[in-house]
Amino acid sequence: MTALGQALPHDSVLHRRNPTVKLAVFFVVSVVVLVPVDPWTPLALLVVAAPAVVHAGRIPWPTLGRAALLFGPFAFSLLAVNAVTRDGPVVAEVLGLEVTRTGLTVGVALALRTVLVGTLAVAFTLTTDGARLMTSLHQHARLGARPTFAVLAGYRVLEDLPGRWTTIRQAQSVRDPRHRRGTLPRDPGSLSRAAFALLVVALRQGERMAIAMETRGLGSGPRTVHRPVALDRRDAVFAALVLGVCLLVVLVTWRAGLLRTWSTV
Amino acid sequence: MNRRRISLSELVLLAVLAVVSGFVYWALVQAWIALQIAMGPFGDLAQHVLIGGWMVAAPLALYIVRRPGVGIVVELAAALVEVVFLASPVGPMLLVVGLVQGAGAEAAFALTRYRRYDWGVFVLSGALAGLASTVLGMVRFGWLTQDWFAWRLGLQVASGILLCGIAAKVIGDALARTGVLDNTPLGRARRETTSPDTEPVPVA
Repeated sequence: MTALGQALPHDSVLHRRNPTVKLAVFFVVSVVVLVPVDPWTPLALLVVAAPAVVHAGRIPWPTLGRAALLFGPFAFSLLAVNAVTRDGPVVAEVLGLEVTRTGLTVGVALALRTVLVGTLAVAFTLTTDGARLMTSLHQHARLGARPTFAVLAGYRVLEDLPGRWTTIRQAQSVRDPRHRRGTLPRDPGSLSRAAFALLVVALRQGERMAIAMETRGLGSGPRTVHRPVALDRRDAVFAALVLGVCLLVVLVTWRAGLLRTWSTV
Repeated sequence: MNRRRISLSELVLLAVLAVVSGFVYWALVQAWIALQIAMGPFGDLAQHVLIGGWMVAAPLALYIVRRPGVGIVVELAAALVEVVFLASPVGPMLLVVGLVQGAGAEAAFALTRYRRYDWGVFVLSGALAGLASTVLGMVRFGWLTQDWFAWRLGLQVASGILLCGIAAKVIGDALARTGVLDNTPLGRARRETTSPDTEPVPVA
């Protein structure tokens, strides 16, 4: 994976699309996939979406696969718990718990939905630069100048967080009398102390940045934008294409009698 | 209620709080995954045990900045960080989750017209955040038609009280003791209550 909030360092169709449009399309697709609770609709969308983002974003399959492994347990737990907690015809018994057909159907559907949305989330992050997104939100989503500057300052803090986290953990470990060379303590106490120190350091950095920004008059009035983000016809085509394919897949599963919702499952 | 326009430094403070919360929330997701695997077929319940930890930014922001709406704003911003920068598998629906959880947590402070910041308000804030989160889960995952609904509700509210409401007060007080919040409404309020008789130090 790249550093936090940084896109893969190459050009692609997805890299060039307007970040606000990409985020809006991603949001609409996520809302649409809330409706079906049958496995076929999210599966069909996943079969279409995975090769599409790999091709359009020039994302290597191993990169996408590694990211998918991170949300695999989340998807599996949704499948497991739904399989044993919903009423319906019993198809098996596992560890004294009854696995129902309805539970399996809903569980597989929710698991596939998670993998689908996770895949889209990874594709969005790997093809969208954080600073460009904020500039675009300011230009095209009417996000005010002051909140934009504030989030950009936060974004700068975010970029430094992994490095600061490692420094704090190593510093605390060195002072720990139980310190063992080459290992960092993983107990909840050590982790929460490090998280608190990280918060303090980040807040101090934020305060210094705010003073610097106020000194330079940021947020006191309208300003021009460095490197404006384009919004053109190709973004409209992109949005129409993605939403059109999404609705087409839902329409096909509905016409084929495969679509189930919470009221018909 | 403080109606003065929010300052840039307060906005940056909220953004930093949201970013660190988003980062910690993301780390909490890794802990959640481990707990899910450890709990086997009951893994889905793990999220209810930890849910309060994902909502702590809202009461913490309200405690520090003491303005209407900042609880919702900081939860929305933390969700944005998770979605946009950290590729959360929940996707942009996380923004709706942040909005609902932030509104739940903020409701308790709104009831006191943002004037009281005692333990009772924080406990109520955590409980309402847990309740709001449960209502959203009923819509997204059909929890009401599933077994264990009472367990889900109980765990969410309990986690909300402990890991959201009470934790926010504990973290806020601990942060204030470090001096990092001296220039915030929380820092000023603490100075007023802890040393009412102290003369202000003249500025050279």
